[in-house]
Amino acid sequence: MTHITMPERREGPVDPMPKGPGPSEEGGGPRRPETGSPDKDNLMKRMRKVDPKQAERYRQRTGE
Amino acid sequence: MLNRIFGLETEYGLLVHQDRPDHSPTWFAHKIRDHVFHVQRQGVLDLHHRGHDEPPGNGGFLTNAGRMYLDMGHLEYASPECHSLTDLVATDRAGDAILQQAIKDLDLSEQVSLIKNNVDHETDATFGSHENYLVSRRFPFTRRGLAPLVTFLVTRQIYTGSGRVGAASPQDAWIQMDRLIVPRASIGSRRGGPFLPFQISQRADHIVNDFFEWVQQNRAIVNTRDEPLADPNQYRRIHLLLGDSNMTEFATALKMGTTGLVLQLIEEGHAPCDLEINDPVEALQEISQDQDRQWVVQLQSGKTISALDIQEQFLEAAMLHCQGQDEETDWVLDQWTAALQDLRGTFEKLVGRVDWASKLWLLESFREAEKLEWTNPMLASLDLEYHNLNPEKGLYYGLLEEGRVPRLTTDKAIDLATVHPPRNTRAFGRGELIRHLLDCGPSVEDYEPKQQERYFPSYVINWSIFQVRGQAPFPMPDPFKTYVQEVRAHLSRV
Repeated sequence: MTHITMPERREGPVDPMPKGPGPSEEGGGPRRPETGSPDKDNLMKRMRKVDPKQAERYRQRTGE
Repeated sequence: MLNRIFGLETEYGLLVHQDRPDHSPTWFAHKIRDHVFHVQRQGVLDLHHRGHDEPPGNGGFLTNAGRMYLDMGHLEYASPECHSLTDLVATDRAGDAILQQAIKDLDLSEQVSLIKNNVDHETDATFGSHENYLVSRRFPFTRRGLAPLVTFLVTRQIYTGSGRVGAASPQDAWIQMDRLIVPRASIGSRRGGPFLPFQISQRADHIVNDFFEWVQQNRAIVNTRDEPLADPNQYRRIHLLLGDSNMTEFATALKMGTTGLVLQLIEEGHAPCDLEINDPVEALQEISQDQDRQWVVQLQSGKTISALDIQEQFLEAAMLHCQGQDEETDWVLDQWTAALQDLRGTFEKLVGRVDWASKLWLLESFREAEKLEWTNPMLASLDLEYHNLNPEKGLYYGLLEEGRVPRLTTDKAIDLATVHPPRNTRAFGRGELIRHLLDCGPSVEDYEPKQQERYFPSYVINWSIFQVRGQAPFPMPDPFKTYVQEVRAHLSRV
């Protein structure tokens, strides 16, 4: 196969991406929400506020 | 990065909270679009017919050089041309921010929510996230040349998927069989099986062909429409519509970055060989729906292999041939390595980086706390809420608030990207044009096309060319060029 390259870049480089996380340590990963004391946990609070019927009301047209 | 131009197009869903049959999602979409253009004056509306479904006033270009418009009743935002993943993430989030701000300004937050997802659980409707990659015209755009890309795309969902509750069985899909295009329903569907609790991709169920040029009832792994939006002698635009809209910045950057590197491997003849999947469309759905997350596929050679092992082979090739070419490439290689390594462990390790893992972790936590079965409709509602772009409500933003999501851009960069285009692509020149038209051109506040405007609009803007009335057309065929000085000189004569 032939060697194909894009045209030469015309402008200088932009800011680099910030360094992201490396692989998690063994046993790493985030904590689960505090299900033992759910009222103290913002994530569980957010989830409990969700209208259980909203997926039924979410009627969208098919797009592309 | 990669000497490549990237772009993302997002079709948004609108969740209406009121019981008002006359206030449909499309009704809200019109209000939001009108606010962006008429009140906030963030761009100029098209004055010409762009197509049969894009009449004058349907949408327009923004000062950040992206586009906002209505497509099939959906609000859609197309990012400006970006030459880096940093710019791409910021400009993609800028689209979310522009629309969410409009809802807030209109005081509609209690009536409607902007949802950045791809499925309607009730009707099986789907709407897309489309990726654009500029490649050389000499890119081997043949079945053989594209085979490595198909294999890569089928398997990348293990870190790019946004996940969903349940499955879809779109019976209105059309499938190409040899030279015939037939309704999927006429050949029988393998669906209708047992209830599926959760799968890792939103769009996999809706992709029914490997290659095809249409975009609605027969979406393909690789869309073959030839529309470069640039000099057709020099460029081709790889247009992909199989991917999910991503909430995490990490997934957005990794999806576009790894795909950009694989396109480079194909261009340079370094893509892994002998990895052609036996039935890529079926494999796409099987991987997505695999509840054990083993993700095994069968190759044309008869051999079976996991999606993870396939991805490792692409990563090894990219490490060998692309490492060190620039900082963003090395970032992609590092994060690709980390993601694949973590995917060999428990999915919780990917929370905050990979959308399906983040969503599944939230849903499992809620199920455990509330002792719910997967069939409980609350879980589909939580699935939607993960994609709610209201920072006070959305579950993704809940994770962010808790410090569980690594950022790749900043709120300040996103704010800037709502107004300013990238300064190292064609978008820069187009942004100058839009500002000029807003400053000096006809007011869009009282926009009502006059008879003359219908036939001789005062401006016509497309991605690769524009014309202001009384001036010669101004072509911008090279997306790598800013054209900014030339545009300023051109407009000074108007």
